[in-house]
Amino acid sequence: MRWTRLGKIFDPADHRLPNGCSEFAQSPQALVFPDFVRIYFSTRARDQGGQWRSHVAFVDMERDLSRILRVSERAVIELGGLGAFDEHGIFPINVLRHEGRVRAYTCGWNRRVSVPVDTAIGLAWSDDGGLTFRKHGAGPVLGPSLHEPFLVGDPFVIVHEGRFHMWYIFGTSWKRPAPDAPPERTYKIGHASSPDGIAWRKEEGRRVVEDRLNADESQALPTVLRIGMRWHMLFCFRESFDFRRNRDRGYRIGYAWSDDARRWTRDDDAAGIDVAPSGWDSEMLCYPHLFECDGNVYLLYNGNEFGRHGFGAAVLA
Amino acid sequence: MSRGPGFRWRKRGLLFDPGSVSGRPWLREFAQAPATLVFDSFVRVYFSCRPPADANGQYVSRSAFVDLDRKDLFRVLRVAERPILELGGLGTFDEFGTYPVSVARDGGEIAAYYGGWTRCESVPFNVAIGCARSRDGGETFEKLGPGPVLPYSPGEPFVLSGPKLRRFGGEWQLFYIAGCKWKTVAGRAEPVYKIRMARSDDGVHWSRLDRDLIESRIEPDEAQASPDVIRLEGRYHMFFCYRWSADYRNRERGYRIGYAASDDLVTWTRDDARAGIDVSAEGWDSQMVSYPHVFELDGRVLMLYLGNEVGRHGFGLAELEAA
Repeated sequence: MRWTRLGKIFDPADHRLPNGCSEFAQSPQALVFPDFVRIYFSTRARDQGGQWRSHVAFVDMERDLSRILRVSERAVIELGGLGAFDEHGIFPINVLRHEGRVRAYTCGWNRRVSVPVDTAIGLAWSDDGGLTFRKHGAGPVLGPSLHEPFLVGDPFVIVHEGRFHMWYIFGTSWKRPAPDAPPERTYKIGHASSPDGIAWRKEEGRRVVEDRLNADESQALPTVLRIGMRWHMLFCFRESFDFRRNRDRGYRIGYAWSDDARRWTRDDDAAGIDVAPSGWDSEMLCYPHLFECDGNVYLLYNGNEFGRHGFGAAVLA
Repeated sequence: MSRGPGFRWRKRGLLFDPGSVSGRPWLREFAQAPATLVFDSFVRVYFSCRPPADANGQYVSRSAFVDLDRKDLFRVLRVAERPILELGGLGTFDEFGTYPVSVARDGGEIAAYYGGWTRCESVPFNVAIGCARSRDGGETFEKLGPGPVLPYSPGEPFVLSGPKLRRFGGEWQLFYIAGCKWKTVAGRAEPVYKIRMARSDDGVHWSRLDRDLIESRIEPDEAQASPDVIRLEGRYHMFFCYRWSADYRNRERGYRIGYAASDDLVTWTRDDARAGIDVSAEGWDSQMVSYPHVFELDGRVLMLYLGNEVGRHGFGLAELEAA
């Protein structure tokens, strides 16, 4: 893939966002409307205890991403209640239109004691064209299972030939880099399918994309697009330890292709995008999202500090 | 039995006291949620127990068994030398407890379903249901995987626990509880849970009924637990326990044993007045009666149940006299 960078297109510091959020615009994901493109993202606010919680917001842009039209004025989706899987944040959110109705798959966060968090995937419906969403039950549609024991998250859903397909991630281990260090997670990309998008069948631990770095490579946020007869997947990957500040161990964008949407061949060199020599995306690249609009293929993504200062875009040449 | 005025149980007293066991630091207190497996010469009773609380006053639950002489259940033949299930690894659903356990024979193996406990930040815990199998006659169990077999779902968002595995009519049934809300009571989060059911052809893939089986009686937030189902004289009988949702650690509002009947396992008619067992005037079961398990043995119908402090001092035995 060959990309032309459009630069950073959204900085959360420039806007008044719901829930008092002012930093982070993570995992941008698009829903195309006739007159604009709505880009959902997760931003953050400190809670009463001083800890971050992720909240969903959106920005509406011109269809060529050249100009911001407006940002969301109220909460797009409420966080879960006491003890719920999405009590402490929703990040990311994947939105799609199916049979005229807008639905969202969410990754809900809840805090744990021995490890920082667990996540699971929820479903929500919108009856106002994607302005707000209400949840399909208080619990998740895709959570832990026998061979995917924790950290089920990062859903990306498409409907192909009448069947729902979800690429997502599941945790494989929590490990401490040193005996007194906090535990760090490792996760991999998986696949599930469903007749209705509600009841899902997982493949129970089958890893869709092979490791490239090592067995502790973490793979996150798959995004899939069919161009012609070939399926393309972008995702991000990193080392599981010392990845936050060490440029050489942080997120990069990986790539895999498939002709049947089932067996994937990894070929990161073909991703066509790497960290820039300087600027907002010079330290890391993460949370890619592919979408088509007016005959163009766009890539939305985050740069340094996991999207603390916004997101950018590129267009397929 | 099925349509009469009710059951009448004769209490036989405290059957097993975990305080009588030595040399097992992980079995210091509690013998909770008894579940039986009958062998030729003994009755194996699985139960859950705890080592002493940690520095923060928190417990980890383990599960074990005691073998009782089939001819005289008050005679303890043997206590498990080690827990029957390992705790889960870092970050897994059963890292902090495996409680309770329900077992059933399946071919030459024994299937076990259990509640796996993790600890959360905003609420004290969460529970999901795991599955394990034994190939050594029920002495040790190997988990089917590191994750749960019945996890949180849209309609059952947290606290899935208390599994009771049954097999009626060639199909597997799992009766269990699911949380529907966390209530904040005097600054403490308390879960409200209701009795639920799922069915399976293979014992691994479950189809949930996705609704409460037993109507709430004492208050809408009544907590229900231990849905123990037995088939007697052509009808299904469920003994369970229930309590108030707040301020329940006392005689007035603590656990009591309830009863419901069904002809199809799905539609249940609650009638607690027929349960036929209540707290005693004094003694080990004078504050509460809870976690019933009813089973047949050599022509008798027996109930194991917990008394005060939800089994801190063990479980007792009652025998059906009339129904």
